[in-house]
Amino acid sequence: MTGVAQHIDWQLIAPPVVMACTAVVVLLVDAFAGAPRTRGQALVPAVLTVAGLLAAGGYALGALARDVGGGAVRETFCAGSVLEGPAPCSFAVDRLTLVFWGIVLFGAVVVALLGTAAVAEGRTPQGEWNFLLLCSATGAMVIAASRDLVTLLVALEVVSLPAFAMVGLRRGDRRAAEASVKFFLVSVVSTAVALMGISFLYGASGSVFLTEIDLALSTGSGPREVAVVGALLTVVGLAFKVAAVPFHMWVPDTYVGAPVAVAAYLSVVSKAAGFVGLILVLAHGLPELADAWSPVLAVLAALTMTVGNVLALWQQHAVRLLAWSSVAQAGYMLVPFGAVAAASPEEISAVLSASTGYLAVYAVINLGAFAVAAVVGTRYPAQRLSDYRGLIREEPGAGWALAFALVALAGLPPGVIGLLAKVVVFSSAAGPATWLALVMAVNVAIGLVYYARWLMELFRPAGAVGGSTYDVPNGVGVAIGMTLTAGVVFSVLPGLLLDPVLATLTP
Amino acid sequence: MIPVLLNGLLVAPAVFALLTAVLARRERLAVATAAAGSLVTFGWSVWLAVEHDGALGEAGSTVDAVWLTALDVHWALGVDGISAPLVLMTTLVFATALLSLFRHAPADAEGGPSRTASLAVLLLVIEAGVLGAFLALDMVLFFVFFEVALIPMWFVINAWGDAYDARARRRAATRFLIFTVTGSAVMLVGFLVVRAEAGTFDIVRVASSYTPSGATALAASVLVALGLAVKTPLWPLHIWLPDAHSKAPTVGSVVLAAVLLKLGTYGFLRFWMPVTSPEWLLVPVVAALAVVGIVYAALACLAQTDLKRLIAYSSVGHMGFVVLGAATFTVGGVQAAVFASVAHGLITGLLFFLAGSIKDRYGTTDLARLKVLYGKVPRLAGVFAFAAMASLGLPGLAGFWGEMLAIRAAVDQAAALPEDTYRWLAFVAALGVILTSAYFLALIRTMLQGGPVTPATEVDSTVELVADTVPAGEPGVVDARGSEWVTWAPLVLLTLVLGVAPGLLLTPVADATASFLVGLG
Repeated sequence: MTGVAQHIDWQLIAPPVVMACTAVVVLLVDAFAGAPRTRGQALVPAVLTVAGLLAAGGYALGALARDVGGGAVRETFCAGSVLEGPAPCSFAVDRLTLVFWGIVLFGAVVVALLGTAAVAEGRTPQGEWNFLLLCSATGAMVIAASRDLVTLLVALEVVSLPAFAMVGLRRGDRRAAEASVKFFLVSVVSTAVALMGISFLYGASGSVFLTEIDLALSTGSGPREVAVVGALLTVVGLAFKVAAVPFHMWVPDTYVGAPVAVAAYLSVVSKAAGFVGLILVLAHGLPELADAWSPVLAVLAALTMTVGNVLALWQQHAVRLLAWSSVAQAGYMLVPFGAVAAASPEEISAVLSASTGYLAVYAVINLGAFAVAAVVGTRYPAQRLSDYRGLIREEPGAGWALAFALVALAGLPPGVIGLLAKVVVFSSAAGPATWLALVMAVNVAIGLVYYARWLMELFRPAGAVGGSTYDVPNGVGVAIGMTLTAGVVFSVLPGLLLDPVLATLTP
Repeated sequence: MIPVLLNGLLVAPAVFALLTAVLARRERLAVATAAAGSLVTFGWSVWLAVEHDGALGEAGSTVDAVWLTALDVHWALGVDGISAPLVLMTTLVFATALLSLFRHAPADAEGGPSRTASLAVLLLVIEAGVLGAFLALDMVLFFVFFEVALIPMWFVINAWGDAYDARARRRAATRFLIFTVTGSAVMLVGFLVVRAEAGTFDIVRVASSYTPSGATALAASVLVALGLAVKTPLWPLHIWLPDAHSKAPTVGSVVLAAVLLKLGTYGFLRFWMPVTSPEWLLVPVVAALAVVGIVYAALACLAQTDLKRLIAYSSVGHMGFVVLGAATFTVGGVQAAVFASVAHGLITGLLFFLAGSIKDRYGTTDLARLKVLYGKVPRLAGVFAFAAMASLGLPGLAGFWGEMLAIRAAVDQAAALPEDTYRWLAFVAALGVILTSAYFLALIRTMLQGGPVTPATEVDSTVELVADTVPAGEPGVVDARGSEWVTWAPLVLLTLVLGVAPGLLLTPVADATASFLVGLG
């Protein structure tokens, strides 16, 4: 069967393609427009970025949600003719993909808005920065839809490479450059490890397509030990991305050295990309090996939570504290992975949707916290916790938004959505891995200590009462509003977020 | 009708909290709104208590809507004879607390401008959370409401607490928060394991159809008990309580002791008993810990030199009686538990109000410095003596029935429980009653009367010391004011009424227990 052109479902790949095109447009506009003369001109790249992201999101929601929301799967980039069985496809959009697309788009819009905070300073080239953001986000979109290991890894690289540059893009900032190099070196190592794992998986199963790997392993046609080694190495490679302990060492320095908007992006979108990679590889490709990878991930989850929370207790720098807190939160998200050992291969997806649910909630509230850190950072670059004293009175909009985000991250009312996200994760672990649930219970209490300490600072009476002294850029204000509104709405009506995301979770 | 009443009971304090927050700039108006809101809530709860009659399982007597489909969590509310008395006691205590705020604004611990309106908002939010917990019939919903009170209470202790020792105040608040959150997280894990066993979060269905047996069910019961043991508190997890109660402001202590502790005891009755089999060793262990708590608390009280800490430790002792009653797995035990809870709420609430009044007058709660109050403020001292007598269990006042019924239930325990153990526990609990009497009588002797007989000069110098703290130019320490009588009177009255007519409370509880916990001995 020669001369058959591959069928491409353009409708399906439209969202990432729109984003990629927007990236090129932003770069070209910036190149041809020259130096911005007014503040409005400087904001053009950010505006174009947000427009492109909204277009991609609108398309995904409008055209695809109808088909896929009911549980159907739409695929494209399928392999050539296969004489028996369904053709394996590289790009598929199902409910999981749509959920991650939602997270990526929301995160990217918020980060683009936060990026406008750097305009006044003038040290970050806006066109290039937004171009890199869109490229990285496009990679994140593709990884959520990838169904073979090569596409997955390439997409992961597309997420990471622009991120290295984004971390170091601030002119004359030595700390940023150092953070960028650290991040780059660690990522390169992790990619190498992941590639090694992927090659073993290919060797053991004869294919890079996830469904075919699963088929090969379930029929037992390849050497299982090799597959197990490959699985663990791939997990390690992805664990760097997710910042699980002991692969988390790059996180504090990178988050602190990078601009706050980039730290927000790394802590949410980049982490989400890592998680979707883990879910796809483990739930779609390797459910047969669950008794090998599940205990490993259980231990990783316990370590990550504990190390993240305990080390956050010592932090006095707000962004470093948020960095360690995001390590701990990643630990909570890994708990369902550790709890699948007893589940049958069909049930594994259902259990891992708990991880997806927590990720969605975490994305909203963590971005809220970083957004306020961006505001405070404009006045206090040192970002000490004591610089936040009295924020509730000085800048109530930012103060209350941060208070809500901290309470939701801690998992207490009025951040009910954060509490319910923790209930969801507890629920996945409470039967099959009760020890892990108890470790998490203790960790929730430890985490509360540093969130409460920061919360207390917000409410202390500050020096100057009344009259805002923060010049909050409009974009950042919108970002804070978006995250706070989403958080509050979901706290009152948690079903709006959790029911669609957890649709496959069965008790 | 009932569903509207149930939802309304939670909406009312929330709406008034919002209103008070909006009016926060105009402080007198805001606090008056909050006080009015608490009275409205009290009236509403009375209406609900009068209207409800059906058992929980009947249609129309509960609210049940799906809140989170993915986890099968329902917005399920209902009230019966077990929760109604606690709901009434809660709304009454909050009404008296907010009325006391209206008359007398507590000082801000950081020395800033008085923010009584914010304190009132926080108290109303706590009230909404506690009422939600008492009405919730879904385990996860109970957990969510259980947590609602935590952050506001933490703020109350931190921002309005003991102004003299900032570090101790902050440590007390944080310890309260961390202990309670750990406990409730462990309790949640227990609930989730129960759901895995029983298939539902609805406690009414669990109580009627689930028979706990096996190692997993035992583990779940242990986890739930651990979590509730922190809140109640059960010895040895009571460590957070003395600091939190003594460092909190007066209204904070009242709410903590009278209301928040009852979340734990109610949790034992409503959520722990249905998932526990009386045949397990866990049950006598819980009863034994309760009794140890009674004796330990009494001994600790004998050693206390601070009035508020003494009252705090006495709460640990009283909660011991409640848990002992619950752990007998009989209808009489449940009656004892509910009665003791309500009685403790009224009496200890009154005690903390009185301690607050004493602190306002003399600037201290140090027992070494407070002497001869009968002579200085006779009416205040008289009410204090009444409250102390009620707390130690004088027959004719409410406290007696709680203690006596708990001991009787322990003697008469469920068939599946070891008889001899419970007889011993009852004996030790009775000894605890004697010790309780000892410390309260000692307190009356030293604080109200003036302590052991000493040479005249020493007595005079003690009087001098106390008078020193009255600011110069003031007309001297004033005896009980009218506004304070308004706060104390309902509590005093109900203590008397329940003391002479316990059946008012005991009969509804018995009926409710029979229908909720079927098959109880």
